[in-house]
Amino acid sequence: MLADMVADASGGEISAEEALAGEHSLPALGLTSLAWIRLIDSIEDAFGVDVDLGGDLSAFEHVDALAAHVSGLLDPR
Amino acid sequence: MTGNASVAFSGPRGGEAALTWGQRLMWRAVHLMGPSQSFLNCPWVLPVHGKRDLTTVLGALRRMLERHESLRTTFADTSDGPVQRVARNGELSVELLEAGQEGPLGTAERIAGELARTVFAHGEDLPLRCAIVLRDGRPRALAFAFSHLAVDYHALSLLSAEWRELLRGDDLPPPTWQPMDQAALEREEPFLARSQRSIRYWRSVLEEVPLEVFDHPPGEAEEPRFIEVGMESVALAAAAVRLAERLTISTTSVVIAACATVLAVVSGRPRAVMQLVHSNRRDPRTRPLVGTVGQDGLLVLDLPATGFADTCVAAHRSALVAYRNAHYDPFEMQAMRAEIGRVRGREPDLDAFFNDRRADGTWPNLPRLAPGENLAPLTEKTRTYVTNAWPGVRFKVFFTLGTAPDTGQLSLIVDTAFLCRDTARAMLLGVEALLVRSLTEDVPIAAVRGNAGLTPQPRWEGLRGPRRGR
Repeated sequence: MLADMVADASGGEISAEEALAGEHSLPALGLTSLAWIRLIDSIEDAFGVDVDLGGDLSAFEHVDALAAHVSGLLDPR
Repeated sequence: MTGNASVAFSGPRGGEAALTWGQRLMWRAVHLMGPSQSFLNCPWVLPVHGKRDLTTVLGALRRMLERHESLRTTFADTSDGPVQRVARNGELSVELLEAGQEGPLGTAERIAGELARTVFAHGEDLPLRCAIVLRDGRPRALAFAFSHLAVDYHALSLLSAEWRELLRGDDLPPPTWQPMDQAALEREEPFLARSQRSIRYWRSVLEEVPLEVFDHPPGEAEEPRFIEVGMESVALAAAAVRLAERLTISTTSVVIAACATVLAVVSGRPRAVMQLVHSNRRDPRTRPLVGTVGQDGLLVLDLPATGFADTCVAAHRSALVAYRNAHYDPFEMQAMRAEIGRVRGREPDLDAFFNDRRADGTWPNLPRLAPGENLAPLTEKTRTYVTNAWPGVRFKVFFTLGTAPDTGQLSLIVDTAFLCRDTARAMLLGVEALLVRSLTEDVPIAAVRGNAGLTPQPRWEGLRGPRRGR
């Protein structure tokens, strides 16, 4: 699901398969700043979480790290 | 042929609605700037592709007005606050002019600049003015000035993109999203929650930020007080592209890092605080929207003790945070800023800006250079010039990365009461030098501080205003 969100946020520039492969970081695949903001917005809307950008942003550079981060936000509930 | 023509339009919908957040930002800006608000007007040129006659061009213009409600909108203050009023029917008067010696496009650029010098009467005027430039009796180019309440530069790129099809008479799908739709959406969740979060972020910065952009006192200003110094540098663009690839960040972030660094050095501070003009088209519905969507983000960048590479990475992350918190109701934001002003004695001055006007953040026609080619010789071709001057645009510092596709077009508006034009020129050249030098070494920030043209300005304590060079 997160990989599909990356594909949507990038306007099709990055495929879900490329995002999932994890061979390159999302910025290296071409995720622009605006697409990155769209991705965070869609994660918040879909999962009902509040994503805090105050800390290390490396959690947002790969889909697997992103999944772990979102899981962490959902767990305390 | 010279004279006038008129374009009668009849769109599918008219109506009245609250302002969108983007419109609210501009509504406040035009009122703050008063007679200097012409600074906000957007000159634009559309070429006439192929051999089209006047009737065809006027027909394409009519369809453009009918498709986009923003181009049929006036703005008015009411007892319930300012509103947008979309006219379903109306008429646009168009001036017809012969091309001058500079050719049709050159003439259109000049005319667009002239059209943009006059303030719009937002309550009565359509938000655009248009002239058609002819040669040998045939239309060759259109010169426009748009109100920034109606369009931002992304919207202008959208208009350019569809113009060729309109001229051909192609069937285009009707726009699915208009500013009145956006205004309704912004009154609902999750937009309201995002606005509140953005305002919380801005509040956290405003509670601590210095009250002034500079620590030194105002000196003798030029007349007019605010000037814009421009620079065209292929070296800047080529260096930004290479650094962005190396660091896997955008060229926008690289140029922001360099601009913020020279600002921090000139202000003698370890931290740069700048407003970033942000396209803000994060919601998919706003991507094709002809309207003004852009809002300002707030960048806070602490210069690292290391080098410029770390500064770029830090700037990229800070810019992401700024963009994320650039989505808010400007009226609510202003209420918060006023509250901070009451607590701190006055509102902090945030009049340092950066704007990247490039639609897709690239330079598509940059000259081809060999990989690793030394860029230093290219800097000899860089030129700087004073482009504009205004009596009251109210900015202390405003960097703009222009839309030229083949060169790095960086300009800087300064308040000459605080920075003289020589310092402004040194700041632009300092950005270029920092980027080019960073290709061969990780430039220590301390070395930037040692740049002769970028000395920190004297501080307030016990000093008279420094003499200003002309």
